[in-house]
Amino acid sequence: MTILCVRFQLPPMYEAALPGLLGLLEEFTPVVEALPPDGALADLRGAERYFGRSAVELASVIRVRALARYGVDCVIGAGPGPMLARVALRDARPGVTCAVPEDAVAEFLAGKPVAALPGVGAATARTLDEYGLDTLGRVAAAPLSTLQRLIGAKAGRELREKASGIDRGRVVPNAVARSLTTERAFGIDELDPARHRRELLSAAEETGARLRAVEKVCRTLTLTVRYADRSATTRSRTLKEPTAHSAALTRAAYGMYEALGLQRARVRALTLRAEGLTPADQASHQLTFDPVDEKARRIEEVADRARAKFGPRAVIPGSLAA
Amino acid sequence: MPGFAHLHTVSGFSLRYGASHPERLAERASERGMDALALTDRDTLAGAVRFAKACAGVGVRPLFGVDLAVEAREAVRRDRRRTPVRGGAFVDESAPRVTFLARDGARGWAELCRLVTAAHAGEGTPLLAWAAHRGEGLVVLLGPGSDVGRALAAGRPDRAAALLAPWREAYGDALRLEAVWHGRTGTGEGSLRLAARTVGFAAEQGVRPVLSNAVRYADPGQGPVADVLDAARRLVPIDPRGELDSGEAWLKDAPAMLDAAERIVEAAGYRRDTARRLLEQTGATAAECRVDPEGDLGMGGVYFPEAHLVGAGRRTAQRALASRAAAGMLRLGYGGRRAYWERMHDELDIIAHHGFASYFLTVAQVVDDVREMGIRVAARGSGAGSLVNHLLGIAHADPVEHGLLMERFLSRERVVLPDIDIDVESARRLEVYRAIIGRFGGERVATVSMPETYRVRHAIRDVGAALSMDPAETDRIAKSFPHIRARDARAALEELPELKRLAGEKEKYGRLWELVEALDALPRGVAMHPCGVLLSDASLLARTPVVPTSGEGLPMSQFDKEDVEDLGLLKLDVLGVRMQSAMAHAVAEVERVSGERIDLDAVEPGDPETYRLIRSTETLGCFQIESPGQRDLVGRLQPSTFHDLVVDISLFRPGPVAADMVRPFIEARHGRAPVRYPHPDLEGPLKGTYGVVVFHEQVIDILAVMTGCGRGEADRMRRGLSDPESQGRIGVWFAQQAAARGYDAETIRRTWEIVEAFGSYGFCKAHAVAFAVPTYQSAWLKAHHPAAFYAGLLTHDPGMYPKRLLLADARRRGVPVLPLDVNVSGVAHRIELVSESPAVWGLRLALCDVHGISEAEAKRIADGQPYSSLVDFWERARPSRPLAQRLAQVGALDAFGANRRDLQLHLTELHRGARGGGGGQLPLAGGRRTAPAGLPDLTSAERLSAELGVLSMDASRNLMDDHREFLTELGVVSARRLREARHGETVLVAGAKAATQTPPVRSGKRVIFSTLDDGTGLVDLAFFDDSHDACAHTVFHSWLLLVRGVVQRRGPRSLSVVGSAAWNLADLVEVRHAEGLDGVAARLAGPSGTDGSPAGDDGGALRARLAGCEGLPAPAGSAARDPMTDRTIRMPTGYEMHPWADLRPAGQDAAQGPAAIRKLWHQSPGSAG
Repeated sequence: MTILCVRFQLPPMYEAALPGLLGLLEEFTPVVEALPPDGALADLRGAERYFGRSAVELASVIRVRALARYGVDCVIGAGPGPMLARVALRDARPGVTCAVPEDAVAEFLAGKPVAALPGVGAATARTLDEYGLDTLGRVAAAPLSTLQRLIGAKAGRELREKASGIDRGRVVPNAVARSLTTERAFGIDELDPARHRRELLSAAEETGARLRAVEKVCRTLTLTVRYADRSATTRSRTLKEPTAHSAALTRAAYGMYEALGLQRARVRALTLRAEGLTPADQASHQLTFDPVDEKARRIEEVADRARAKFGPRAVIPGSLAA
Repeated sequence: MPGFAHLHTVSGFSLRYGASHPERLAERASERGMDALALTDRDTLAGAVRFAKACAGVGVRPLFGVDLAVEAREAVRRDRRRTPVRGGAFVDESAPRVTFLARDGARGWAELCRLVTAAHAGEGTPLLAWAAHRGEGLVVLLGPGSDVGRALAAGRPDRAAALLAPWREAYGDALRLEAVWHGRTGTGEGSLRLAARTVGFAAEQGVRPVLSNAVRYADPGQGPVADVLDAARRLVPIDPRGELDSGEAWLKDAPAMLDAAERIVEAAGYRRDTARRLLEQTGATAAECRVDPEGDLGMGGVYFPEAHLVGAGRRTAQRALASRAAAGMLRLGYGGRRAYWERMHDELDIIAHHGFASYFLTVAQVVDDVREMGIRVAARGSGAGSLVNHLLGIAHADPVEHGLLMERFLSRERVVLPDIDIDVESARRLEVYRAIIGRFGGERVATVSMPETYRVRHAIRDVGAALSMDPAETDRIAKSFPHIRARDARAALEELPELKRLAGEKEKYGRLWELVEALDALPRGVAMHPCGVLLSDASLLARTPVVPTSGEGLPMSQFDKEDVEDLGLLKLDVLGVRMQSAMAHAVAEVERVSGERIDLDAVEPGDPETYRLIRSTETLGCFQIESPGQRDLVGRLQPSTFHDLVVDISLFRPGPVAADMVRPFIEARHGRAPVRYPHPDLEGPLKGTYGVVVFHEQVIDILAVMTGCGRGEADRMRRGLSDPESQGRIGVWFAQQAAARGYDAETIRRTWEIVEAFGSYGFCKAHAVAFAVPTYQSAWLKAHHPAAFYAGLLTHDPGMYPKRLLLADARRRGVPVLPLDVNVSGVAHRIELVSESPAVWGLRLALCDVHGISEAEAKRIADGQPYSSLVDFWERARPSRPLAQRLAQVGALDAFGANRRDLQLHLTELHRGARGGGGGQLPLAGGRRTAPAGLPDLTSAERLSAELGVLSMDASRNLMDDHREFLTELGVVSARRLREARHGETVLVAGAKAATQTPPVRSGKRVIFSTLDDGTGLVDLAFFDDSHDACAHTVFHSWLLLVRGVVQRRGPRSLSVVGSAAWNLADLVEVRHAEGLDGVAARLAGPSGTDGSPAGDDGGALRARLAGCEGLPAPAGSAARDPMTDRTIRMPTGYEMHPWADLRPAGQDAAQGPAAIRKLWHQSPGSAG
């Protein structure tokens, strides 16, 4: 009963508050793993003894502090391992910490739907449901070979272990920032490619500016196009080199957009997500003999400074000014 | 000032382009003082006939034309665009469009027809190839949309001149340049600069210019409707920042057009008075386009196929007909009976009088051909009244024996074309069409089109999409509406109880409602009429444009049923009747298994077992007598002869029900009331129906007897009865004539009352006889070969009930239902011997009912039988993976061992293996059997839901069985026990909804009829409008229902429940499961079910008394006037109906239904039969 899984009830787009909240957890234990955008795992093995309280009791302390200091409520699940803590989180409510009993792990899991397991996504859950393996109890009871036939050798073995309550995971301390999202929504069904591109440009500019502000570069850019019928298309592109340079991001975004070849699709929103963020000072940059590239970067630097001083709309691309 | 002639006007027949009906355009043209108006629809002439008629009505000279996309002279280079990953590509409207007007009478019209036919000949959107231009009989307008116009818009007069040359070559003097000014800026379509350039260019090139307004709608202010239509056509939303309709394309009057002309010529640099010249040119062009609707379109004429094609050889058609009829007399054994000979000669005289002999021979030829193909065929309709039809083998029943009158069909006095309808097996209808085309040739035969018009649901969908509304939201709104006219949308919101919730949020949708109503009845597509076939002489293609149908590629005239009649084209209705297919299948099954050949047309009449079955009211699946109302009527009428069946079918019509003929008839039939005749002279015609007037034939006889006029005249008078105005005239005439023949005033008054009440909405006996034949045949099959009968029904699905109900009926009648099995099941449903003695035949479910199976797949599976193992099945039958998994789910693969989930896993691996190329190893135990994989098998509930999902049928047991315990807790009465319930008792009933109807009823109120199936039988429910507020939504939108109501009894076999409260049973079952009985109690106490109105008290009983016969009508006038009264719709028959009756109810697919997309219950537009 030593691992806690905490999910802070942050308002959307408020991920910036997460580092502070992680700091709160770190007051109890150094072993804190962030689960962005709003969660964290904390290993309280040492803390229980230090504070003289059980993990469940500590959970209440954490909630009180989060509310008092940050005004953020949280739900907490507790369990012997990180996987179990995360499963327990599903049953927790604010103020009621759900703990997995150490001696009855299998029973606790038996009635849960397969999708409750971390790592079991929609596709796997659908496959398992199709074959009547809709609860973890049934998965645990199914022959290993059958499971492996269903979802593959390694996944099958892991799934069966997890379903039987064997939790081999541990909490790995890490830092926050893994991705950054910028969304542009349209008020009507928008078909005009010019307007799409305009919004993509603005989103890429913003992504770049935000990345540079936190001194990060991204390796992968993902474009999600949402349509009127609430479906979406997603395309990812790994950049030639990790970068936060707006022009490079825009180029990648345009490339993905053009590849979709949209004509009559009723677009309601475009989302750009920068993924694989790493510190900017560790990024490599291919130098060229072309002075244009160099100039563009220097202009960008100046523009960033101007924005820092006069607000984000102080310097924008001309095509967005209209 | 003379009126302006609009040369370029489109109507709603330009699909998703024009916003006004042709009638409206003609009317407005007349109001605005125009003396000529052209109709130039896009790609179609479909509106021409209506337009011509409307123009004749308002005194405007019609011009006929068409607006066609034409192939560009030089191929346009277009860059290949990437295929979109979502949403599809833009609709290509890049082809230039040109307007053609017919000029030289019939030649011009024929040329128009030819161009339209040629434009539709290719694949894809209609496009006129350059080679199709002949330059005869037409005037061509090159407007802003033409290639020349576009070159001018692009500022390239040089290019325009080059493009003009080929047009001038082809059409010479008949070429016009069309200037249009819609007040737009820039140089595009509708701009002043383009109009001015056009006029200038025309002067420069020596081509005459004309002015038009490219009219899309009749009145100003309809621009937004045009925007919606544009959006619906291009399949994109309206872009409020983009180029919207100018709002100027309406039918402007002469001063407005003069104003436009002045602006244009001034902009072109001429003096202002040159505008007069432009208008004169336009007027002169209109004057050139002379096509006379009567003479040149052929309206009013009649064209039959040439005599030599219908077996007349070198003789005249009349002589050939006479000799064939005489041969028929001898063949059928009437040779020695004088009455038959006399009648035959009389009929032949009438036919000769009209010159319709070819028509009869044509129909006879078609019927002979169909019969030769081994397809069941039967005549229906008034044609059955003609002895000649009987002699030619067209009609089955002997008209003399059944007392059918030729005059009802054709008489000297009748000038309209007679129509003979023939019924064929639905499954082979297209074969019949092809045979007819093969016999008479493509230049004489075409099917008839049927415009699909906007009704409320489609209108909401298209407007919603145009306005960028959330698709899920649009879908919800559309589905909550019943299938009513679009123009009633807002009225329905106010008045229909099941729309109350939606009405609350009405304001949220802004312009939606207004636009929805504006789309009312505009055509949105064209389909092939399900039965009409045109037969003509070789000039057909010069009189009607023919286009290929989208699916089958059959030739189809652009004109619809009414147009075709106006054009004097002979139409033969060839109806595909599913019951004929079902019976053919049943007979074939019996022959397959036992070798016994049944000739249905020769089964012994008056079979006691058949009538016993009919009297028991267990007539599910029998033709015409299976609906709840009919079962009730059959129960009260207790038919025992063929004539009784004829009467029964005739009585169950809105007319007889409205005229309250049913009760007196039943009373007299069972001897509870004396048989009365208005006068002893009328005993003859009225005797067969106990003095009650049921048939048209009887009215004709009454009129003929009382007034002494001939029957032909009497039939003409009968037709006049439907019109209130002429009814008065006929009344006076009747009284005079009858008095002159010595009838006393009292008799005349009483007789007239009967005739008047009857109006024209009795039923034609010839129809009823034609209907009763398959009714008897189907009942005979059900009585003697039940398993084969059900096999036929399930295969061809002829009736109003979902298949699962037929299956329940089969189970109740002791026909074993055998599960689907890939080793035994055929493509169609089959019968199998289950036990030798006594011989019990079982029904084997068919592969064709598996969801998503293709014909080829089913055939492949059936051909490969038997299969020794799963692998064998997989390799030889090659089912798709989803199909194989569905088969496994419903147990069709159970023979291969292992449980159903294990089978699924094996199938997935087989699929993977097949895809990967490597065979892969299969875990088989003992060679043939499939090894178990240890997966949990389907539970019984899962099996049932798989059956419903895959087969739409609960094949293994009734789905209500699962809820039996809960229903017992609630004290629900089963359908079987309900038979013992007392009249007036309040009961709870439950079941799966099988049918819902809101038929027209006599009181003009709306009554919802519903039928529930609970496994033990059927419960018929009626909801009167005092319960609609509480129940309507639940009844329409749920599948499993729990209903509280009062038992109504009107005879030993007649029973129904008048509902007062309804709940969604599926919800309650869930609540019972989750919250226990207390939860259920809370739900029942809540407001959702009922508003606590006095449900079980005398209110119900009172209603029942009002309800009269079969729960349908209440005596007129006894119902309190309600606000709906002034909205009642008066039918052409004089029959009034509630505006929301006779429509398909809302909520086609309730979310609760396991296979929501497929047919699990029936909803009809409320046809009474």
